[in-house]
Amino acid sequence: MKRFLSLIIPFFILSFFTASCVSEEDYDNTRRGNFEALWRIMDEHYCFFEYKNAELGVNWDEVHTRYSKQINEKMTNEQLFEVLCNMLSELKDGHVNLSAAFDYGRNWSFHEDYPENYNDSIVSLYLGHDYRIASGLKYKIFDDNIGYVRCETFADGIGSGNVTMMLDNLATCTGLIIDVRSNGGGDLTRAHTLASHFTNEKRLVGYTSHKTGKQRNDFSEPKADYLEPASNGLRWQKPVIILTNRGCYSACNDFVKCMKTCPNVTILGDCTGGGSGMPFNSELPNGWGVRYSAVVHFDSDMQHTEFGIEPDIKVEMSGADTDRNRDTLIETARLLLGQKKIPLD
Amino acid sequence: MAITLLSSLCVFAQQEDGRGATVGFPSDAKLAYQPVEHSTLAGSGFANVLDTYLAPYNYTGINFRVQRETQRMTHLLDGKVMNQTLIDLNASLLENRAGNNDAFAGGLRYSIGWLYSPSQSDSRWSFAYGPSASAYLGAVYIDRSGNNPAQAKADVTLNATGMATYLLKVRNRDWRIRYQMTVPLIGVAFSPNYGQSYYETFELGDYDHNVCVAYPGNMPTLRHRLLIDISVGQHGSSFRFGYVGQVNQSTFNSLKHHYYTHDFMIGFTKTFYRR
Repeated sequence: MKRFLSLIIPFFILSFFTASCVSEEDYDNTRRGNFEALWRIMDEHYCFFEYKNAELGVNWDEVHTRYSKQINEKMTNEQLFEVLCNMLSELKDGHVNLSAAFDYGRNWSFHEDYPENYNDSIVSLYLGHDYRIASGLKYKIFDDNIGYVRCETFADGIGSGNVTMMLDNLATCTGLIIDVRSNGGGDLTRAHTLASHFTNEKRLVGYTSHKTGKQRNDFSEPKADYLEPASNGLRWQKPVIILTNRGCYSACNDFVKCMKTCPNVTILGDCTGGGSGMPFNSELPNGWGVRYSAVVHFDSDMQHTEFGIEPDIKVEMSGADTDRNRDTLIETARLLLGQKKIPLD
Repeated sequence: MAITLLSSLCVFAQQEDGRGATVGFPSDAKLAYQPVEHSTLAGSGFANVLDTYLAPYNYTGINFRVQRETQRMTHLLDGKVMNQTLIDLNASLLENRAGNNDAFAGGLRYSIGWLYSPSQSDSRWSFAYGPSASAYLGAVYIDRSGNNPAQAKADVTLNATGMATYLLKVRNRDWRIRYQMTVPLIGVAFSPNYGQSYYETFELGDYDHNVCVAYPGNMPTLRHRLLIDISVGQHGSSFRFGYVGQVNQSTFNSLKHHYYTHDFMIGFTKTFYRR
């Protein structure tokens, strides 16, 4: 029995020895520890440092130096949260958030600093009460035989079947308006599903690159992203106008990016809000959640769309129209489609 | 170091050649009827999971494990090779250290091994060692919305495994104490790249070093068990209890992962005889 134990005990010791092999640097759950952990998470995972440095002059090392001075152990949770949010706001990225039980830290300057160019009450008047809803897509035919689709989010499960049924109902229309204003995004796949019904051929819509290591310039070779035409169901062949504003963000920004490559499609309205980084989540030692952009989506010219996509036709809501419960963007789109001023490719 | 110690076990086993019993079986293993032992164990214990693709901190909690094992002697090498299959299912309920976020982890591993036992039947000691192969499919899920809520785990490995068994009698009952350790030596494993999204992999079909060669340098893993069987009745049945520990670790594409479990197991074994 002694011999057995003399043989077995080393293996137990070995198991505990190897148990300490693969581990991660552990920060203390202190004010300083949480600050350092957040800075480190962003430093090792955030994907836009180079771009934000070029566009905004953000130097992440300098940010550390500046905000580190504001950290002390006597801070309250709210004060720590405020300092950490201020630090993250340097990046001006709507996908960068800090979430605690009492607040959600964000920088929504991508749309809060601009005219909204969208009035929900007025759009409701356009839709009336007799519109249809296909998996979140509200649609109807206006009196001038222009089809109107209101897409508020890509979080709904939009499928090819839904889009096909909708397009079948709108098939007699002379043109189509897809209103994605203030669509904050959702599922990228849903956005591509909708866009796939507006092309007859496979189209290069952009490139994707992800981080391959902790260094700020560790990125994979950009891989081409293609929009495949919908293989099942109807594909729209007539003119389309996409209505945009600064509230078009994330997956919606990607939808506009895809649609911009499609034939017969015109982007009308304001610049989109951007948000071209696919967000990942992490957390701090105190349990606060962190969200950050992790994967870069470029457009088909390998340009960033993080700060938005410019429309083909810039149109803003006029105060006079708003006073008369008219939506300037919808009316402009109807006018263009009715006059067939949108060229067919 | 693990390999060194495993080698020492094998050398020790060879030194014991000629004095041990057929590993894992009673001394009647050399009869015309070969024993086939089935065992089923269930247990629970502690789990500690780190997966830096999801979060940079350990999640800890309770682990549940079920194991189904079959051992049978083969005709290879003059009947000295034992075939062992093990189906190992576990699931963990985990929590971060702040106690405000949950995670779930678990997986299924199938292993098959061939253990050479040079021992004889006239000793309380027996040893065996040999190769095994295993396949694992599992996942870690952190209860937080986002594009990276889960991490898939999969690997196929060739392993070295060694076993020592000690037979004794306590109050007229046969006791069998068995220790087994398995160390993966070479294999392949799935891993996303450092910041690669599953959307890229599975929606766009963009692969980027997602199949990694695994070896002790990047997957220093050890699985071991200390089991005690106490015979019950006269029909080859035993009550079994013991400890199952697993130290699963990897570093692929700069992503660190560990999944430590320590479980107390309880169950039964039944030995059948076949010609």
